[in-house]
Parts: sequence; C-alpha cells; structure tokens
Amino acid sequence: MMPSGKLARMVVANATRSPKHFVLSAFGIVIGIAAFVFFLAGTLGVSDVLLGKVFPLDQVEVIAPHTSIAGKNLSQKMNAETVAKIKARPEVKDALPRMTLQFPATGYGKFEGQAINFEVGGFTDGIPDAHVAGDPKLEPVFKDWEPDGKAMGPTCVPNTPNNCPDKAWQYCDASDNMCHHRVPVIISPTVLELYNTQVADSHGLPHIGVMEQFIAERGRERMHFWMGLGSTMMAGSNVTIDASKHREVGAILVGVSDKARRVGLTIPIGYVERWNRTFVGDKAASEYSSIIVTLRNKDKLATFSQWLQDEPKLKLEDQLGASFATAMFVITFVLLGIAFVIVIISAINIAHNFFMQVTERRREIGVLRAIGATRADVMAIIVGESAIIGVVSGTLGSLFAWLASLGVDWALKHVAPKFPFKPDSLFNFEWWIFASAVGLSILFCVLGGLLPALRASRLEPAAALAQN
Amino acid sequence: MVSPVISLRDVTKSYGQGSARTPVLRGVSLDIAPGELVALVGQSGSGKSTLLNIVGGLDKADGGEIKVLDHDYGKTGERELARLRNTSIGFVFQAFNLLDHLTCLGNVTLPAAFAAGGKDAPARGREALDRVGLSAYADRRPSELSGGQKQRVAIARALFGRPKLLLCDEPTGNLDSATGHEVIEFFQKINKDDGVTLVIVTHERRVSNIAQRVIAMRDGNIVEGAGTDVHTAGTGDDLGGPA
Repeated sequence: MMPSGKLARMVVANATRSPKHFVLSAFGIVIGIAAFVFFLAGTLGVSDVLLGKVFPLDQVEVIAPHTSIAGKNLSQKMNAETVAKIKARPEVKDALPRMTLQFPATGYGKFEGQAINFEVGGFTDGIPDAHVAGDPKLEPVFKDWEPDGKAMGPTCVPNTPNNCPDKAWQYCDASDNMCHHRVPVIISPTVLELYNTQVADSHGLPHIGVMEQFIAERGRERMHFWMGLGSTMMAGSNVTIDASKHREVGAILVGVSDKARRVGLTIPIGYVERWNRTFVGDKAASEYSSIIVTLRNKDKLATFSQWLQDEPKLKLEDQLGASFATAMFVITFVLLGIAFVIVIISAINIAHNFFMQVTERRREIGVLRAIGATRADVMAIIVGESAIIGVVSGTLGSLFAWLASLGVDWALKHVAPKFPFKPDSLFNFEWWIFASAVGLSILFCVLGGLLPALRASRLEPAAALAQN
Repeated sequence: MVSPVISLRDVTKSYGQGSARTPVLRGVSLDIAPGELVALVGQSGSGKSTLLNIVGGLDKADGGEIKVLDHDYGKTGERELARLRNTSIGFVFQAFNLLDHLTCLGNVTLPAAFAAGGKDAPARGREALDRVGLSAYADRRPSELSGGQKQRVAIARALFGRPKLLLCDEPTGNLDSATGHEVIEFFQKINKDDGVTLVIVTHERRVSNIAQRVIAMRDGNIVEGAGTDVHTAGTGDDLGGPA
C-alpha cells in the first residue's frame, strides 16, 4: 500500500487536473449539502425561537382534571403537598404553584399619557415570592408587603393627590384611609414582546428594551396603575359581587420575569389568597389553579406525564409547544428528505462520472500498475479523488447555505413585518451541522466513487495498456 | 551454475471463452540468464507481447511455471508482484505510456509514489533523465517532446528503480530510423555497463542484430532460441509484425 502522504499528494493532483470533471461531479453535491445545511440550520433556528421562547418544552403546566358525579365536584385538589410531591420527582427541576384571581377585577390607569383599561380577573396569577428570589432586581420588591392584610403606612386622604410618605411605593386606600404598599406586579417576556410588536407602534408608545432601564429612565410613578377588585369590563357578566366588597388597589409594575404568567399579570400569592378568600371563599384561597413544572430535560416529559396520571391523578394542560415540536419535526424531516434525495442523486451522478473517468483513464491505470501500484493503491486513488470532491463540496455547500441565510435574514429584518419574538436570525448554525455536512458529503461522494474504484482496481494491467 | 533471471515451463495462455477461445501461448518454455540481451521475434499474433506481459506480471498465464528474479509467480501474491515491478522490473512500451498531466521528471519519479521513503526521488529522477540526455527537459510536459524524446523519458522511468530486468515491447516501433538507432545503442549500453537483463520484443532486424540471443515465436510456440545455451541469429530481414 502506498504511503498516505504520497497518496494524498497524488489524489489532490489528480482531482484538480480536470476542473470540468471536478465541477460536474461536485455541482449536485454542493446543491444537496447547501440544502441540507440551510434547512437544518433554518428549522433549528425557528425551533429555538418557537420552543425556546414562545412555547418552552421543558416547562409544562399541571392542572387538576375536572371530575364530577351527580353534580358533586370530585376534582383533585392541588396544594402545597401536591407541589412537594411533584418537586420530589427526579425529572423535575422546579415546581411553581399558581393561584388565579377567581373573581372579576379590572386594571386601569395611564401609560405615557394614554388611558388604559384591561380585564384582570382570570388573567392574574399569584406565585410564591421565593420563586423570584434568584433575580436580584425583583427579589427586593416582589413580595407580599402586607402579609396580614393590614396597612403598613399612616392614615391618608383618598382621592386626592397622593399624600403618603413614599409616593413611589405607597398609595392611599379608600377602604381604610390608610397608606398601603402598592401591589408589585410582574409580566412575562411574552407580554413585553406583544406590547413592543403589536401595541407600541400602533398606539405611538415607546418600545421597551430592558424593563429595569425603562423604569429607571421614566421613574417608578410611571409604572403605577389601579386594580378594581370586584368590578369587570365584560358585558353580560353574571358574576355578582357584593358592592361593599369593591376595592380600588394601587399596583406597580416592577419588572419582567419568565416566572410570570405567559399572558396576564403576576403578583405575590399572598395577595391572591386574601382577595380570593374575601371575594370567593376559603376554598378558592386554599387550592392552586395550576403548577408550572420545569423539567430537567424535555425528553423526560413522557415519564413525568405518565406518573402525573398514575399517582396524583393530575394532567398536563394542552401542550401547544408539543404540537409545534411535532410540526417542526415533520417539516425538518421532509426538508432534510429533499436534501438527501438531492445528495443521493448527486452521488449517482458522481458514480457515473467516475465510471467514465475510469474508462478514459484505463491506460493511466495500466501504467500505474506496471510501475508498482497494487489493486488497493488504484482503489485508494479513485476513492481518495471522490473524497476530495466530498470535502470541497461539503465546504462549498455549507458556505452557500450560510450566504443564503444572510440573504434571508436581511429580508427578515428589512422586508418582513414585525411580529412577536421576531429573531435577528432565523438560523442556528451549530458547529455540528457543518461537521455533519462535510461528513455526509464525503460519505456520499465516496459511496459514489466506490464501484468505479472497484472496477479500476480489477483492470488487468496488460488489458489496460493495450487500449488505443 | 547461475540461476536464470527468467525461467518458463509449459506456459499456456488463451483469450476468449468457449468456442471463441483462442490459444496464444501453447506451452512455452525458456530460460534467460542474468545479463542477457534477448530479442523476441515473430509474426503478428505469435504471442510475443503476451509472453512479455506474463513475464512482467502484467498478465496471468493459464498454466505452467513462471519464475522471474527468484519469484515463483504461482506462489507470489498480488502485492509482492507489484513490489517486484516497482523495484526490479522496468517496462518500455511502443506507445511510451507517459502521463501527460505530469512533467518529465514527474513521470520518471512516478514509481517512487508506490514505495516507502524516496526523499531522494527528484535527484534520482534527474540522474535518470541525465542518463538519457534529457536533464534539460525535466520540467517539460510529454506533449512538448518529440517521439524519440518521449521514449527516452519512458526509458528513464524504467531505469529509475535501477531494475535488474528491462522488458521492452516494440520500443522502436514508433520512432524514425535515426532515433530508433539511438535507443538501441542505449539499450546496449545499459546492458553492458549495468548488467541489466533485457528482453526486447521487436520485428526490426537491427534490434535482433545487437541481441546476444534471438527467440523466435510462431503460433504461440518458441521455434528457436529457447535455451540459455542457444544463440541464434535472425533468419531474414522480415522478422514478423507486432504481436
């Protein structure tokens, strides 16, 4: 067997001596590999946005299925014990209980000079303060400031300009004429994204990049709004609340967190417990409406889901993320299938080209055998030449895919309209995509060159040299 | 007694299959001693080139015993046979068989690609080109050379591995008279100076005239000069066409 260094030199020299043959052989593979890299990086990039930011697959919502027999509600109850049981599961990283505001409530106020009104009841969750403990910006402010429900400030005169000592954090509550701490509210990145992409431009409002920076620039007072507990904007609502219970509560938006409810407001759970007890009853104040579970690995979802049904008799809320993941898998499968078909056809084309080459180079092969080449040497030379085409095609294909992605990203930035979670790039070019592209290219080129190489190695030197 | 460089016993070879099967060698036996310069002559189709190819390991015999340079081909594997061609046997063809994409030096040093080491290959290649008087043409392509020059480059390639045996198939067949004469003189020189054994398939009388022995073939048989003790001169101007 010829030494590898000499084989490599001969292979490179042979592969480059006929640019026409090289281009004819490489063209299809370049297209196929470019499609492979483009599709794979594209679906990976889109999946990253969809399943990483919009519908994270490693976060699932556990709810209690509604069961009733003869009008009697037999649904499972979710409480602190349920949370502890879920947290003890090996596949669970964290479990975040949520309690939804179960009575009508509205939100209103002014933002950047414009009046805003929105429904709060049913769209506001309470979560334990401890769950934002890891966030240094939220930890000092996102807490139940009045755990016993009593005012922390002095007396005041309601419905006048704020006369509480701390105007940023306190408000005068008309229910007891006392200064109370404003209820801290957080929103999810989804709400912020929806605001930036759907609301801000159409209403002439400023875009908010980093919430804390925005608050620092505009001042805390700009983040104030009111919550009308017991009132609703919904026409035809049949929920009746004792008018004596109606209360106007001051709230303040303190930041953004992925622990917040995806669409709606999130406040410390203590407030929701007290308000649910006051407006609905003790039962509504003692049961969680859902538990947000963060899995250690999204692949553990099936195991966790099965345990959930078997043991605590709970279930997962419908997983939009899972549906998107399935859709993305199918799309990826189809697109990669197209790329593979191109590559396979190209490999057949390479085989055809190399068969022609072997015929054209019979005399050359005969000469090589006459001066000492073994059958294995001849085979290695032809296979090596096809592998070189694979290396170059894989590299060029990857390069073309990357260039095409730049074009698509440019169009995304300058032509496509704004939409929530619009990424800077639709592509995720992981290193392994390029590595597998070059690897696949070499594999298919070598497969294409294998049969011609076998035929070349089987040529009898005397017969090859006898060719005119 | 010195063992022969080439020893053939009852070598047979046919081409084709079934009713189309054509015998080319019908039990050829011969011995060639070290340092001999042998001319192999005969009519077209007499089996000269086939015999040369079998001796060089470029073709396989159907039967018989073949021993070349102490290698019994019946017991020699493909790899060992390739090594033998690489190190000990040189070939010169009528059609030169140079590779056009390589320079003259590249053609001459090509055998080094199939052997380990060989850092001195360029120097040895230039030395071989110098021996055939073409050192100035080292970087030229074969397409830039005349027929005679091409054949001399082919001879330089055959001599590159310092072979013990040189097998030449109609080496002057594509050359004019003067150039052919130069090539013949060169063969004589390397036979005399280096002791290289030469077997030259030819139909030219001037080649057979310089041979120490002429082996004549007809219809796949040796009809003259098979033994090492026989030295038979040519029998006429026409020694037969190419095999």
